[in-house]
Amino acid sequence: MKRIVAVLAALAVAGCSSGGGSAGRTGTSAPPLVIHAVDAGTFQEDFNPYHLEGVNFGTSGMIYETLMYFNKLKPGEITPWLALKYEWSDKGKSVTFTLRQGVKWTDGQPFTADDVAFTFRMLKDHAQLNASALEIKDAQALAPDKVRIDFKSTSYAKLFNIAGGSPIVPKHLWEKQQDPATFTNAKPVGTGPYKLAKFSAQLYEMEKNPSYWQPGKPEVPLLRFPAYTANALQTALQQGEVDWAGAFVPDIQKIFVQGKPEQNKFFFPPEGLVTLLPNLTNPILSKPEVRQAISLAIDRDKIVKVAERGYTKVAHPTGVAMPGGEAYVPPEYKDAAFKVDVERAKELLKGVNPAELKFTLLVPSPFTDWVNAAQLIREDLAKVGITVETRGVAFQDWVSKVGKGDYDLSIRGAEAGPTPYFQLRFLLFGGLAKPVGEAASGNYERWKDAETDRLIDAYAATDDLAEQQKATQGLGKIMMAKLPVLPLFYSPGWAQYRTNKYVGWPSEQDPYAMPSPYASPDAAVVLLHLKPAVK
Amino acid sequence: MRFLARRLGFYLLTAWAAITLNFLVPRLMPGDPVELLVARMRGNVDPAAIDAMRRAFGISDASLWQQYLDYLGNLAQGELGRSITFFPAEVSTVIADSLPWTVGLVGVATLISYLMGTSLGVLMAWKRGTWLDGVLPAATFMHAVPYFWVALALVFVFGVTLQWFPVSRAYGLDVMPGLTGEFAGSVVYHAALPAVTIVVASMADRILGMRNVMVTTLGEDYVVMAEAKGLTSRRVMWAYAARNAILPNITSFALSLGFVVGGSVLTEIVFSYPGIGSMLLKAVENEDFPLMQGIFLVISLAVLVANFLADLAYVVLDPRTRQEAE
Repeated sequence: MKRIVAVLAALAVAGCSSGGGSAGRTGTSAPPLVIHAVDAGTFQEDFNPYHLEGVNFGTSGMIYETLMYFNKLKPGEITPWLALKYEWSDKGKSVTFTLRQGVKWTDGQPFTADDVAFTFRMLKDHAQLNASALEIKDAQALAPDKVRIDFKSTSYAKLFNIAGGSPIVPKHLWEKQQDPATFTNAKPVGTGPYKLAKFSAQLYEMEKNPSYWQPGKPEVPLLRFPAYTANALQTALQQGEVDWAGAFVPDIQKIFVQGKPEQNKFFFPPEGLVTLLPNLTNPILSKPEVRQAISLAIDRDKIVKVAERGYTKVAHPTGVAMPGGEAYVPPEYKDAAFKVDVERAKELLKGVNPAELKFTLLVPSPFTDWVNAAQLIREDLAKVGITVETRGVAFQDWVSKVGKGDYDLSIRGAEAGPTPYFQLRFLLFGGLAKPVGEAASGNYERWKDAETDRLIDAYAATDDLAEQQKATQGLGKIMMAKLPVLPLFYSPGWAQYRTNKYVGWPSEQDPYAMPSPYASPDAAVVLLHLKPAVK
Repeated sequence: MRFLARRLGFYLLTAWAAITLNFLVPRLMPGDPVELLVARMRGNVDPAAIDAMRRAFGISDASLWQQYLDYLGNLAQGELGRSITFFPAEVSTVIADSLPWTVGLVGVATLISYLMGTSLGVLMAWKRGTWLDGVLPAATFMHAVPYFWVALALVFVFGVTLQWFPVSRAYGLDVMPGLTGEFAGSVVYHAALPAVTIVVASMADRILGMRNVMVTTLGEDYVVMAEAKGLTSRRVMWAYAARNAILPNITSFALSLGFVVGGSVLTEIVFSYPGIGSMLLKAVENEDFPLMQGIFLVISLAVLVANFLADLAYVVLDPRTRQEAE
């Protein structure tokens, strides 16, 4: 209501000139792009890039930019953005960024090292904004184009969070805010390619920033973000209202492609890894041969084809996303792949009392694809004499039970991260394992292994790419040999786009950024690559 | 009036019970909002930051009793806290933004369904044995079918296949909210299908209720007397029979007004209508205690107020209750 009243007041002041909402204000002929990023019935007026929930999509990337851009589809590919280069010192406890010159905030003020220092000091002072838990000691501007950030501990492995995941905000506007944690930033001023043009609870629009630092870009003059709930979006995709969406579509050929594969395209690259979690505190599942047998019995091809509708691929046995992650996989396992071998699985189970091979498989019932996968796993395991009872529970219940280790088997995803290390750390790091009954925030299977932890520490202690890759390869070997978790398939990043207005989208041949409109800042990188389609 | 004072005391007690349940029920759900957030972000949150998030959302580890006292204290000051789903928006803002849509849609639809249902009920009792009798089974059928299914069917036929009506949102994307004819038209156009769903699904109750009481009333001596006097049948039907038969229906109307605030959750979800039902679903999905509590509070208070009004209406309309009271 408050919003409606405000709009009314604005109309009264403007002499009731309701312009009819014409979109072509920029004068160019290029059409607007209609984007669906996240399901929402209505939008809240929140453009604070440090809010995890509630913030409107595009705030980070389109409006606020990071120091560097990390392409998750090509681990190790780092593009300079607001910063031109970085340099570590003091054994990884200090990093100095050299900043790009001539960048301006959309209110005309110049972007300087003070803004960067302010942003990181703000994260230090307001722990609730510091979602990547950076251990910042101090941040100071050394020169207008140089800024140094000091950390309490070695932070090589956090370069992505520092340079790729911390949008820089303008000091001259944000320092006036009492509490940046509750600041909703209704009039965002950033350095990015777009600025907010219009906001209502059902639609917001961003228009091109004419003084953007990349000359001639972006070529899409106007972005429209209508609010769609999950089911409304399916209809919208079918009717062609949306140009770019990131959503699960049940029958994509019928609903979206509609017989025009050259125009209505989709690209679902790996965004994470879905694994079968064995609870290692269970005495039977803690035996490596039992896990080996389970892995050999599961027909992953069938799961991908039936439960996942062929939208994704069977995971590499190390869990590393392929193609792209080759450098992070031990060379001898490059072509490794899962194979079903029922005989060998039965062999492995000979020493185990068949009466003890009874497990429940816990899945969140709203994830229907996982529920189907669980049924297939149950059938596969029955063939080798393992009795599995699948149990679908409410999402909340599943989160709580898996977190506390109150399960035998479960299915859960792990985010890919900028390099495969992040995913493997999340899955295997002993420091994340909590006693059963205490909610863990990773390593839900409770894997404890000195060699694993040593490799994880080794990666974090160096800035050398080759060393980091070697440590990750070591983790890959552990995945192959000991099967602490059983990789199933990659969780796909959803992206549907139409090429009738704009071309230049990421594809399997040219994966220059995550194609999903909800990936930030990747979505801004995609927008900067788009060109009007020639008719 | 002792009667009123007693009723009022009863309602205050009920309100207290509702407020307390309101506090307890969300806390009986498994999990906690931060865990859920982490799960939704598929582990993309650094474990060390989870504490930070708890702090940001104001989730306390204080004892249940302490939390209850804080809750009552805040409530007394009209403070509902900040929503977790829409952080950092205040719960009161979220409710104030969504409640008008629900009250508008469900309120108008309830009124239409009541007027149509009652009139049909009167007619059907009056003209027993005509084709009108066929309406009742049809209406009961629509009532028996789950109403979200009716909604889905309407979306499929009129929204997707024929494309006569929009299937989501409260107003078009090309109109800005404001006191313009364009905006009002868009709102009505977008509310058409959801309103039809509610009317169709809830009308049978009213028809049946009205018809049955009406049939009894028609057998009363004073109706026969009125007919014998040679009054027009319309006058007999409305002024003699319907007027006396409508009493129970008025109570049920007052009661259903209370449920208007609760909305038709499923209808709102199917049509992506930005009302309180959609917000409630969001809140439950995200274990958003403050928002859930705020919404439940508004709903339970509305039901209580409607009950109270129904009580009052009875006292005013039916002299017998008044006599008993005094």
